[in-house]
Amino acid sequence: MRPTGIWFSSFAAEARTLDTRRSRIWLAIGLAALVVLPLAGAPRLIGEMTNLYISLIAVCGLYVTVGMAGQINIAQSAFVGVGAFTTAKLSNLGVPVWIVIPAAALVTGGFSVLFALPAARVKGFYLALTTLAAQVMFPIVILALPMSWLGGLVGMPVMPPMLFGLNLGTPTGLYFLGLIFAALAVWTTYNLQASRIGRAFRAVHDNDSAAGVMGIPVTRIKIEAFFAGALYAGVAGAILAYMLQFVTVSSFTLFASVWYLGMLIVGGLHSPLGPILGVVFVTLAQDGLHNIGNAILQSGSGLGGGAVFAASSVVLGLCILAALIFEPRGLAHIWHQLMTAFRLWPFPQN
Amino acid sequence: MIDLLQILIEGALVGLVYGLVAISFVVIYRASKIINLAQGEVLVVGAFLLWTFSEGAAAAGYAIPMPVVIVLTLTGCVIFGWLVERTIFRPLIGQPAFTIFMAGVALLILLRGLTQLVWGAQSRSIPVILPEGAITLGPFLVNTRLLIGALFTVVLTVALHAFFTRSRLGLRLAAVAEDHTTAQSLGVSVKQAIAVAWVLGTVVATSAAVVLLSGSILSLEVAVIGFKALPVALLGGMESIRGAPLAGLIIGILEALCSAYLDPVTNGAASGLLPYVAMVAVLLIRPYGLFGWRRIERL
Repeated sequence: MRPTGIWFSSFAAEARTLDTRRSRIWLAIGLAALVVLPLAGAPRLIGEMTNLYISLIAVCGLYVTVGMAGQINIAQSAFVGVGAFTTAKLSNLGVPVWIVIPAAALVTGGFSVLFALPAARVKGFYLALTTLAAQVMFPIVILALPMSWLGGLVGMPVMPPMLFGLNLGTPTGLYFLGLIFAALAVWTTYNLQASRIGRAFRAVHDNDSAAGVMGIPVTRIKIEAFFAGALYAGVAGAILAYMLQFVTVSSFTLFASVWYLGMLIVGGLHSPLGPILGVVFVTLAQDGLHNIGNAILQSGSGLGGGAVFAASSVVLGLCILAALIFEPRGLAHIWHQLMTAFRLWPFPQN
Repeated sequence: MIDLLQILIEGALVGLVYGLVAISFVVIYRASKIINLAQGEVLVVGAFLLWTFSEGAAAAGYAIPMPVVIVLTLTGCVIFGWLVERTIFRPLIGQPAFTIFMAGVALLILLRGLTQLVWGAQSRSIPVILPEGAITLGPFLVNTRLLIGALFTVVLTVALHAFFTRSRLGLRLAAVAEDHTTAQSLGVSVKQAIAVAWVLGTVVATSAAVVLLSGSILSLEVAVIGFKALPVALLGGMESIRGAPLAGLIIGILEALCSAYLDPVTNGAASGLLPYVAMVAVLLIRPYGLFGWRRIERL
């Protein structure tokens, strides 16, 4: 809801995502702060932020598949893994980074189409089960392939990304790589909603039988939703591979997929703000738990590092359940409510 | 030839254990229309309860006789299932299928974290509950533990099938599996159905844990059996109790054949991939499984 006194003289102006001058200024300030952060920040903070950007790209993709098109995908981590392994393979062949990242995205997209094909026959959670198959089959296949192809059990080294003689493999370089692609991911996600295909996604999400009757090619749209979501996952995988410098299948588990989904649900499935808030919230919560865990470890009690990981699982599980039961629209909705209350103050909302 | 038959027998017995886990999926779905991805974790919780009352209690200085251990474990399961229903699935009645599916995913993370926090990540040994060893039948060796498990699966299937198709309560549960809103408007209590579903589901999963783990090692990785049994449940049809053991037989035998003949060629991947390839194939050819309900779309 907009406050009084804001008016538009054209539809295009009203339909903009950043509709007021103030919102554009805030975005510019925020972006500028993120750009200058590596100058001031500690190395650990830069690494954390890069991780956050990578998760954000992957969760934006998940938002397109799950939030917009309503197709459950529990293989996002496997898709990220496909992107990472493609990157590792191509970088070892000496392919430059500006080809590697789009190629990783496209390969991942093609891989996802393979598992989206059953959409022609099944719907709902049955379709989710084919993505489960993708997630479970991914490590089995990688481990069974010959060592020289994808590294098998050992994994594969990744050559650092070089662009115009500049090494992007440094923490700062990776930070900006992540920032640029995360910004791109958020920008495309916001704009996808207002596009023809975005509206088709939404129609399929709301009622696929009705969407079919209205002339939307439902099967094709579902496959395209998986493809689009996997493109993001491929990019996330590429940057993750450059960051890890060494990829193994153990980084891309079903559990990681569930984490991505959890971030999306906590953030909110119905607004592109959801992925941002969800990723930031879950990352902060996880970081806080790690700090508490480290403090407990240093104090010398009997708890192991596994307990910290287990505790963060419990917290995320409880967060998802709380979101589902009490606020299915997620943090994004709470944010919008807060903003409305702020604008209407001192008058009550209703 | 004898080798082949031996492989078939072993595959069939293991397959019936998969069938038993698949029944626990089907029971929950059949009574409440919930596909619970966390079934493997539920099984692990049951197994840890079993360990607590047997080895854990023995280590603490209270040796409990085995029949009492079983009774205690089953009581623990009933309470656990009821608790899950009460706290998670009851507040979600009437929500879209997507939300309920996601609640299952959240339960998966939550239970995995909780078991690790409460019991720790180290592996433990489960006492021998079912007799170990093998019976010789002519030239073949049959594992007694798996044989008893297989017989138990068959008996349980017949009993549960009778419950779901003959008893009044069972038929009410079937109505809930058809549609929550319709069932509720006809006076069928969805709450009661989901509670019954979860209690039955956890009890069946725990009995599967007994068959699977008697005399062997329990660790958090055991939960993978849940993802192996899901394709089995799907092949049999999510609504069909009798379909689950049959599909288990099919998958078990195919898996045994794969691991005997294809694994040497494919670097060990064939038997691991088989259940999931079968699952995708089933979804493509017969989405409702061998004996599931064919759903009709209305606009």
